[in-house]
Amino acid sequence: MQSASRFPRPLAIVGCMLLAPLAVALSLWRGHDPVEHAAALPLIHREDGFAGSQACAGCHVDQHASWSRTFHSTMTQRASPHSVVGAFDGRVVAYEGQEARPFERDGKFFMDLPGKQGRRTAEVVLTVGSRRYQQYFERESRGEDFAFLRLPILWHIEAKRWLHLNTVFLGPDDANWDAHAAEWNENCIFCHTTAPQPRMTNYALPSRREQERFDSEVADLGIACEACHGPGAAHAQAQRDPLRRYAGSFSSAPADDIVNPKRLDQQRSVAVCGQCHGQRLPQPISRVADWLTRGPSFRAGEDLLAHVLPIRRETPVFGPSDPETFSLRFWEDGTPRLTAYEYQGLTQSACYERGELSCNSCHTMHGGDVHGQIEPANRGNAACLQCHEEIARDVPAHTKHRADSSGSACMDCHMPRMVYGVIELHRSHRIENPDPAMAAEKGRPSACTLCHLDKSPLWAARETSRLWDLPLREPTSRADGASLELADSLASILCGDAVQRAAYAAAMGRGEAALAPRDKAFVRVLLAVTLGDAYPSVRWLAQRSLQALERELPLGLAEQLAGIDHTLGAEQRRRDVIACLESLVRLAPGRLAAPAPGLLVTPDFRAELQALITLMNHQERRAIAIGE
Amino acid sequence: MKRDPLQTTLVVGWALLAVSLPLGLTLESLHAMKVPVYLGSELRRELWTLAHAHANLLALLCLAFAAVGERSVPDAQRRGAIARWLWFGAIAMPLGFFLGGVLNSEGDPSLFVLLVPAGGVALLVALVRAALSAR
Repeated sequence: MQSASRFPRPLAIVGCMLLAPLAVALSLWRGHDPVEHAAALPLIHREDGFAGSQACAGCHVDQHASWSRTFHSTMTQRASPHSVVGAFDGRVVAYEGQEARPFERDGKFFMDLPGKQGRRTAEVVLTVGSRRYQQYFERESRGEDFAFLRLPILWHIEAKRWLHLNTVFLGPDDANWDAHAAEWNENCIFCHTTAPQPRMTNYALPSRREQERFDSEVADLGIACEACHGPGAAHAQAQRDPLRRYAGSFSSAPADDIVNPKRLDQQRSVAVCGQCHGQRLPQPISRVADWLTRGPSFRAGEDLLAHVLPIRRETPVFGPSDPETFSLRFWEDGTPRLTAYEYQGLTQSACYERGELSCNSCHTMHGGDVHGQIEPANRGNAACLQCHEEIARDVPAHTKHRADSSGSACMDCHMPRMVYGVIELHRSHRIENPDPAMAAEKGRPSACTLCHLDKSPLWAARETSRLWDLPLREPTSRADGASLELADSLASILCGDAVQRAAYAAAMGRGEAALAPRDKAFVRVLLAVTLGDAYPSVRWLAQRSLQALERELPLGLAEQLAGIDHTLGAEQRRRDVIACLESLVRLAPGRLAAPAPGLLVTPDFRAELQALITLMNHQERRAIAIGE
Repeated sequence: MKRDPLQTTLVVGWALLAVSLPLGLTLESLHAMKVPVYLGSELRRELWTLAHAHANLLALLCLAFAAVGERSVPDAQRRGAIARWLWFGAIAMPLGFFLGGVLNSEGDPSLFVLLVPAGGVALLVALVRAALSAR
């Protein structure tokens, strides 16, 4: 070959074979490194052994992809056209006589807002939340440091509308637009990021009294791999050795450099979720300085109670806050009634105390529908029946309800929806047997009357005794002072406290209620009255329930209900209530059955207003600080 | 002295295999060592895997054409033209995939990826001309 005489063939072959490895080495040396790129972003640290979720993605491709689909992954995000879901379209958002105007310019997001010295423009730099609603934060420079400040309106994702913060918590309307102002650096950061380090720079200085300053950093802005699996840098480094990896694959022992929550004992497994789904204080409280500087010390796999004190009804409030701040977050029997207390509820349950229940018994981070993150095999009754095999053999024999009714759905009786959060009602995570007498006396909703909306606590107590052959214990009084003969839903929505009213306003719109659609006339009247509730969040729930009932059995009210804006002032609310009640009087005859006696609605569908107002005068109107 | 195009096609085929097989070994080593700068970029992984696969397959195509080209395309001039399209396509496509993963951003390959469609067109031309000229 002539070419061989010009260039030695062995050299050519070796050259060809070295070409690819050399090219790979050169390009990796100079190429884009996503792991380093993520670590170099503002707000991100790589301390305390944390490596960031990007470091996990290379090996755990499927797990990273399944986690990326969850709302945990997008809990906190930098504001960008990709992350912002609100309508920054320049339209005005009004509340209590003042206006905001969210708008977009050059791919950035702003809000024109009322301020103490006239109107101001805030640039949105951070978002929190991606499932139910999204909150927005601006960056305020404070000397060399900063703080992210919560802006006063949020975007409700399902309803596709702006809401003022004052309308989503458990308090009355408030013209103070800054009533729920908060700093991300000392609030949201703790549970809406991974490995938070608030780094309050002037914690011990007198200047803190003027303004708190931060240099906050986190390992990941979302709730990422290392929140549940612990710091991963050592694991990522060690697993680069293929001999170690393959040796590990032949061993059944858990890896000692990373945590798998499914292989932890029950207590440590629930602690992984409980570090956030269980509002808590540093343990001892003197460690609050560490929290605000270096961040919480708990790491997945550890004993949570060695680091924190989960807040319970009897937990004392430190500092100048309302001494009832914590106790109001629980029903009188100690059951949590706000979200982010699921750990407390679960650990109060017999299934946890005497069984093997953990969060992983039902939930998964890497499979199934991202809404609720329930393991697909555990949907419906399956989650409970995996342990309660004797009930599985004949469910109606246990429930005393028809097999296809909600009375035979384990969770509707044992985990009723009586927990408020993000303007919705969620299931209680204290798994327990219904006790209508206790519920009435302690002022909490009863699983029975959340479905049997027309029944009283006395009826519920007697039926419970009769059906399950239990000793009869009737309630002696209601916590709110109303008559025990009244339907529980009626008394609770009118004179209960904020969470009771919210719980029943939401329950009244559910399809699984034990009433035929045409028997819900009194429910519609009560919800119409509740459109005038003092709390905007209760009004919101009442309006949505009325709309649900309208979809269930249309009366021709859909347009009227859609036109109601629950955030408008008292005078407009009064007009809405009257208009809705009048519409029901006009449209219900012939379509709905006349209400039974005792439900405070006349046979011609008129509200017995005087009786209703008398009950409402007993209403407990104390605001509840929910810490959201 | 002018080289026989089929002889050159043979050299291109063997050379491509000589480059591509070590590339495969290198990529496997990066997996074995869990090198984050490689594993962390899904785009780069995909592009380099495609480079490896295309280089191997197109090398085999070159070797096949070198073996049967004279018989299936009797016209020497046409055979030479087809061979030149084939060389370009067989080199440009894997090179484009590989260089697309070099100096790339997080979301897009580098502009060298344009070699891929150029190589694809060249291969298509070679294929059509070979089909038309086939005996």
